[in-house]
Amino acid sequence: MSDRTLLVGPFNRVEGDLEIRLDVADGRVSAAYANSPLFRGFERILLGKQPQDALTITPRICGICSISQSAAAALALAACAGEQAAPEGARIAALLHGVENLADHLTHFYLFFMPDFARPEYAGRAWHDRAVARFTALQGSGLRAATEARAGLFHIVGLLGGKWPHTLAIQPGGVTRAPTARDKVRIGADLRAFRRFLEAELFGAPVEDFAALDGAGALDRWAGGDAGLFLSIAEDLDLAALGPGPGRLMSFGAYPGPEGTVFARGTWEAGRIGPLDPGDIAEDLSHAWMLGEAAHPEAGQTLPDAAMRAGAYSWCKAPRLAGRTMETGALARQAVDGHPLGRALAAEGGVRARVAARLLEIARTQIALEAMKAAIAPEAAFMRPLALPRQGAGAGLVEAARGALGHWCRIEDGRLASYQIVAPTTWNFSPRDASGTPGPVEAALVGAPVGPDEDTPLSVQHIVRSFDPCMVCTVH
Amino acid sequence: MSQIETFYDVMRRQGITRRSFMKYCALTAAALGLSPAFVPRIAHAMETKPRTPVIWVHGLECTCCSESFIRSAHPLAKDVVLSMISLDYDDTLMAAAGHAAEAAMRDTIERYKGNYILAVEGNPPLNEDGMFCISGGKPFVEKLRYAARDAKAIISWGACASYGCVQAAKPNPTRATPVHQVITDKPIIKVPGCPPIAEVMTGVITYMLTFDRLPTLDRQGRPAMFYSQRIHDKCYRRPHFDAGQFVEAWDDENARKGYCLYKMGCKGPTTYNACSTVRWNDGVSFPIQSGHGCIGCSEDGFWDQGSFYDRVTDLTQFGVEANADKVGLAAAGVVGAGVAAHAAISALKAAQKKTQSSKEEA
Repeated sequence: MSDRTLLVGPFNRVEGDLEIRLDVADGRVSAAYANSPLFRGFERILLGKQPQDALTITPRICGICSISQSAAAALALAACAGEQAAPEGARIAALLHGVENLADHLTHFYLFFMPDFARPEYAGRAWHDRAVARFTALQGSGLRAATEARAGLFHIVGLLGGKWPHTLAIQPGGVTRAPTARDKVRIGADLRAFRRFLEAELFGAPVEDFAALDGAGALDRWAGGDAGLFLSIAEDLDLAALGPGPGRLMSFGAYPGPEGTVFARGTWEAGRIGPLDPGDIAEDLSHAWMLGEAAHPEAGQTLPDAAMRAGAYSWCKAPRLAGRTMETGALARQAVDGHPLGRALAAEGGVRARVAARLLEIARTQIALEAMKAAIAPEAAFMRPLALPRQGAGAGLVEAARGALGHWCRIEDGRLASYQIVAPTTWNFSPRDASGTPGPVEAALVGAPVGPDEDTPLSVQHIVRSFDPCMVCTVH
Repeated sequence: MSQIETFYDVMRRQGITRRSFMKYCALTAAALGLSPAFVPRIAHAMETKPRTPVIWVHGLECTCCSESFIRSAHPLAKDVVLSMISLDYDDTLMAAAGHAAEAAMRDTIERYKGNYILAVEGNPPLNEDGMFCISGGKPFVEKLRYAARDAKAIISWGACASYGCVQAAKPNPTRATPVHQVITDKPIIKVPGCPPIAEVMTGVITYMLTFDRLPTLDRQGRPAMFYSQRIHDKCYRRPHFDAGQFVEAWDDENARKGYCLYKMGCKGPTTYNACSTVRWNDGVSFPIQSGHGCIGCSEDGFWDQGSFYDRVTDLTQFGVEANADKVGLAAAGVVGAGVAAHAAISALKAAQKKTQSSKEEA
């Protein structure tokens, strides 16, 4: 078979637009180039605005992870003022954020990732009939159940945040809604309903059982629910070996509350967990249609190169930690947090690991949310009066469903003088940097099998979707 | 067109019972504010009319409209509306990908020429020949024009498609442009909001599929049934506004008492939408109920009207409200005059606002 180049895209069932160019040699991908073809210019729109308007503008970057953007903006503004949110307000913000991330994982599994296994190309496989019944796009029974469970879960955000997407309740000083004892009961009911869905449909067992899995061996034996169906598909198609990441994972730490974060901050490499210094982050622009030099987001700019110069191929900047690519997402969070199954999956590192880590995180987040709910103290203060300074700078680092999200802002004369956003998919789907090192997804695609008649290779679909890309966040 | 199934055929194929179908018709009539006499009409239309194909495309946007749509609490929306319109083409939710997806869109357009509804989420950026939003190797604006050419009507979902929304906020780096400024030869219905309320979305689409025509629109092209009242008009905190009881700071005593958020920058008095009646997330709440003011996301150019936390200062309705209250104590005939004056002043105010914003752009 002769060498050829494929242009794969648009990718449907990912959030936003994505196009990937593949060089194929001997039936395998030899090089990949990820292009984020959508640019809106949020970082430019924010300049000169009143600082607190970032709370309304940045969530509009993404309709799926709007609370993550909201939480990062609130933290960044609080940091500008050198303050922190009221502790109980932080707990409610964490609860809102956890609900959104949990719902995103569910959307990814049922609406975006699994429908690929219902494709006719897989007809004849032992699991295909079940996959078709459960996961056919727009129709499968699993999709319907998940959509319904998700809408029910979002009642919590409706209650505490007024509306979703684009909730306004999270502020630098806390949250605008002080939950009452009655709200607490209703949140409990919504969480119990969601737990019933997880245990009946997704895991086929108590969520605690899945959260207690301690390694790849225990995971292999799991047969319950849609999780079990996924694992048997993964075994049949050897998804564990497909699409390995860079072997370096990074998490900003998720859900800061009065008792600390729920999932720890740090890095993971070759089985070792280490500290993370956000000062080591820099965005490289060598292969992006952006003007300027590589810079830390505090000093970064967003100047689109209207000439779309040759040599560059994406609107996406290339963030690096100490000059190296990092993968971010649920896999990173669970490994960095030191969960035994998370660490085992990090060592495995492929498509199966990413999806299984999300399942693990679904189970653990459900448990964490129940604890947050139980700790709500309705009589407490949920907002601290907090005046934004005329001058100041700060960063808000959070964990969106898809991974590490950072906002860096600077206020001058009471207006936003700089605002830089680095989203999880910016890390995962970054283009090459000045040294020519490909981004995590570009590297993960190398070696993926491509059939002679395939022009939209299935392996590529699985690998790309295993990262759960959110392309509108990527470039913003 | 005889080969196209009816709505009812599609529903039966999806395993929906006759009983559920009738329930759906009844609830649809209620949701649209129609009398029970319309129920048989809706049922008849669905049994006899070929279903209307829908193509749903995405430009510069954040997918919040789709997110809102799939959470609709609309009667049986998950089972009925989705299968009924069956989204012949949808970027975010469909099964196909890549070239197969492009082909699916071409096929749908060819097969249902002149007979499908084009639903647009997001908008096309026109700077640099549209290069800021590329879909399938071509600028989104081309895909939009191509899909619009043979569409029966167009739905502009959300503030993006209707007005430009956040990416069109100053300085509008990509020259993001609302749909009606690009497509000028088709009936367009605007369903603004960021995102629009799910029930409003399903309500509009159900109306169009059932009655095969656009609902009554206001002069901005929005469906009057959902956009004819201000948030303020039906806000449950309105009595506190009238009584002069306001939240002065976040989470203060007044906030806990649920006083009016006007002083915290609430744009409810100048925003036309159904949030305070239909509410969000299955009717659970809406932003004002969560203690945060309305930001006016269903109004044109709401991004560039000053800070979201600044008080609305051009609100001359203040005087009108006071008058209306006083008038309320007087004779009924005078009340009628007061209401008419109120409406006239509101309309005048809106017209002034429009001139101001167009001057600013000039």
